[in-house]
Amino acid sequence: MAKTTTITFLLAGLLAFSAHAIAQQQTKPSEHDHHDHSGHDMSQKNTTPTDHSHDHDGHTMDHSGDHDLSAEHPIDHSAHTASTQSAEHGDAHHHHHMDHDHIMDHEGTMIMGQNLDKLPSSCKSISEEVEITVRAGRKYAAKFPGTAFAFDQQQWHVKPCSKVTWHFINEDNIRHQFMMHGLPKYLYKYGMFHLEVTGPKTVSGTIIVPGSDDTFLVHCDISHHMEKGMKAQLVVGKGAENIPSIPGVTPYNINDTYEAENLPKISDKAEQSAMVRQITAFTNNNFQNYGMMLIGFLIGLLCIPLFKKIPLRKKDG
Amino acid sequence: MPIHIFIALLTFFMLMSASIAQATLKLPETVKVDPAALTAEPMCDPKISPAWREAQEIDGVKIDASPGCSPDNPAWIAAAVKGTNNISMDTLMKTGLSPDAIIKTDDLDGDGDPDRIIIKLEIMELNGKSPDFPGLVPTFDIAPGIQPGAWVFAPKTSGMSTENFESVRANPLLRLPSPVIRVEVGDIVQIVLENTHYFPHSIHLHGVDHPFSHGEHGGQDGVPQTSEVELMPGERRIYQFQARQPGTMFYHCHVQTHTHLAMGLAGMIVIEENKPKNWLQTLNIGAGHVRHSSVAVREQFDQEYDLHYHAMDKELSSIIQKHNDPRLIARDMNQRYDITDSTEDYFTLNGLSFPYTLRESLIIVELDQKIKLRLLNSGGELIAVHTHGHHATITHYDGVEHNPVAQIMRDVFDIAPAQRIDLKLETVNDGKHSYGEGDWLIHDHREKGITTNGMAEGGSMSSIVYTSYLGEHGMPKVSHFGIELNKYFTKEYYERRLPVWQDLDAWASLGSPAGDIGVDAATQTSLLNALYGLLAGLLIYLIFAKREQIKQCAVAAVSRLKSPKGSNQ
Repeated sequence: MAKTTTITFLLAGLLAFSAHAIAQQQTKPSEHDHHDHSGHDMSQKNTTPTDHSHDHDGHTMDHSGDHDLSAEHPIDHSAHTASTQSAEHGDAHHHHHMDHDHIMDHEGTMIMGQNLDKLPSSCKSISEEVEITVRAGRKYAAKFPGTAFAFDQQQWHVKPCSKVTWHFINEDNIRHQFMMHGLPKYLYKYGMFHLEVTGPKTVSGTIIVPGSDDTFLVHCDISHHMEKGMKAQLVVGKGAENIPSIPGVTPYNINDTYEAENLPKISDKAEQSAMVRQITAFTNNNFQNYGMMLIGFLIGLLCIPLFKKIPLRKKDG
Repeated sequence: MPIHIFIALLTFFMLMSASIAQATLKLPETVKVDPAALTAEPMCDPKISPAWREAQEIDGVKIDASPGCSPDNPAWIAAAVKGTNNISMDTLMKTGLSPDAIIKTDDLDGDGDPDRIIIKLEIMELNGKSPDFPGLVPTFDIAPGIQPGAWVFAPKTSGMSTENFESVRANPLLRLPSPVIRVEVGDIVQIVLENTHYFPHSIHLHGVDHPFSHGEHGGQDGVPQTSEVELMPGERRIYQFQARQPGTMFYHCHVQTHTHLAMGLAGMIVIEENKPKNWLQTLNIGAGHVRHSSVAVREQFDQEYDLHYHAMDKELSSIIQKHNDPRLIARDMNQRYDITDSTEDYFTLNGLSFPYTLRESLIIVELDQKIKLRLLNSGGELIAVHTHGHHATITHYDGVEHNPVAQIMRDVFDIAPAQRIDLKLETVNDGKHSYGEGDWLIHDHREKGITTNGMAEGGSMSSIVYTSYLGEHGMPKVSHFGIELNKYFTKEYYERRLPVWQDLDAWASLGSPAGDIGVDAATQTSLLNALYGLLAGLLIYLIFAKREQIKQCAVAAVSRLKSPKGSNQ
């Protein structure tokens, strides 16, 4: 019974997904219809034809990006749809927000500061196109004691001027972010590139890195996710100064103080038998006492010549 | 030789007696703290748009006026009433909420309001330690300069936890107290807890009609010893219920409750009567004034306020500021902190202490109004809330209506830990319900309740203010009585560095006296230095005067060493 329901939901999820994909593959006007239908205010740019043609390139790319998000990871997506449908009330209301650099869907999946085609001033052309998959989740913190959340890798290396597509896979059941700072502000609002998704789900986004050697902070800005381990760096070319407190890469600026604790040990348990404890205590004590006595005796022996000399000198004087 | 030492001592005593003689002649001067030396904050934060205070309509949601200094963001209210799935993208972007934070669908009983409600909550840390810099992050001040470490249930947000990348101040959605939740009797409610925190947590729905266990979602009571395992970081759990009874209730984390509740994982949850077209303000972020009350409340009252009283122990809240490693925090909280030896230091009303309570927890009234007050005490001790100038009627205890015939009026309301009472405040100037217009204090009458870490005036104190006593920017008008509240809006006041009464008269008769022996620290050190110089000079003179003797001694010593054993005589 449970199996059949799961399968039903999976199927339903797949159906929903394919419908979603088809909707996304449709041409732009129908996309607009879809949004107008849902009754959400779209920005002027989306609805006025002149602006529309002006923005056409960027938007088509945005959509393909959005589409990639689901198309490349159908299993993740359908699994998620299935779980939301089975576990939570369905939310048929699809609700997408987009402008130049801010794309968000009805679940809060977000791509901000994406740059598909604008070359940084320090680049003549794109040096290479790379795709990097980043996984995020609590389980990646396991290899760094004293952390709670982490990315699967703590640093990535790319060539200057490369076009990098990030596939950000959030494996937890909560929100995580892939937020990059320090990018050139004339290309990226606030110098930021930001992917955000509630897992388990994937979101993808593309940037073009500058032409000079540099190191960029990557983190999750949810309260204390960075502080508790979800921090990394993107090294462009030879990189610049390292960013502090990246698990396994750079030391913390401020360290906690640790002390040995009186934790119960199996050896304590072995001594639980009163008899055993008494005997061991006896022998232990005796050994210690006799040992100390022996040492004292030896010291005494060694000191005899010295003791002899001192009174002699006094008598002489 | 002794003569010289004697001279030295004599000089020292002469110096000492000279300074003491001067002190006895006249007591130390009063040192008045210059207001320019204080970190003064504006009484009302100028960042808040005055337009937020006005009555308005957003996406068809009618929002009452809220004339206080810091009213709720009206976009929050619109989103809470319609659901983040039903508001315009423009409004949603003004809230900072995740698009799936509040999902409202399906009018199951056909009475013109949604009956399937999904509320997504995350758990956020405030004022915790950073391994990168010596400060705290993200910061939330309960009073000027007071930043206790805290955890809160927060509505699911989108984007950063701070105001922006440059700031360490928390996003306004991340704040004390945990938000007030409002749902209707009969609603199928899902509270989805997404544990974004680094510790295990849960939700216990205290007083809310909820099943002990749900077929699909498992245990629902939030108790790791009876109904479910702890919800680990990165995990999600759904608490589903369909309440049959209305009332003011309570929700809180039930994992290591003795610490997690005091850390701030506690909020008010109100089950409203089922009425037609009852679009409720599902979340009242920061509690306080309800600007879109339920149909039932609007039928009987002119206004409604949620008043959440809480208390925190400095020792407990500072643990997350001492360590960054979750293992050390867990050790200190679970194994080392002893609540039986604890004392509460911070007393808050709706997450803030006086004077910040004046910004957003004033009860702003007019004559002949009926106001519903819902009070929750999530502190560890009984509180005794006193309403100056008013007797109010207790209508409900713990969400259950008190027999109307037996309902009593009081001016001190004792509220046990976790208890809720509903009050009917009537501003009828008859000498019993109200003594007339004014700026009437409402405060916890355990006197420590009006302090912040023992420093008065602070704590959960606020006011019932008649609009005729409401001044500029929605702050109480007190200057016509010659009252200055500015000193409370400085962190130096709560650092205990500002004499409380120094400005009561022109010559600061109760200001701070200068150093205790008429000599300030700097003069003292220079006097001591002079003394050391004198002693050193004496020593040199001594060596000079007795140089012949010293030379002889040295020669004798050397020869003694050189000569063979025993022949030194």
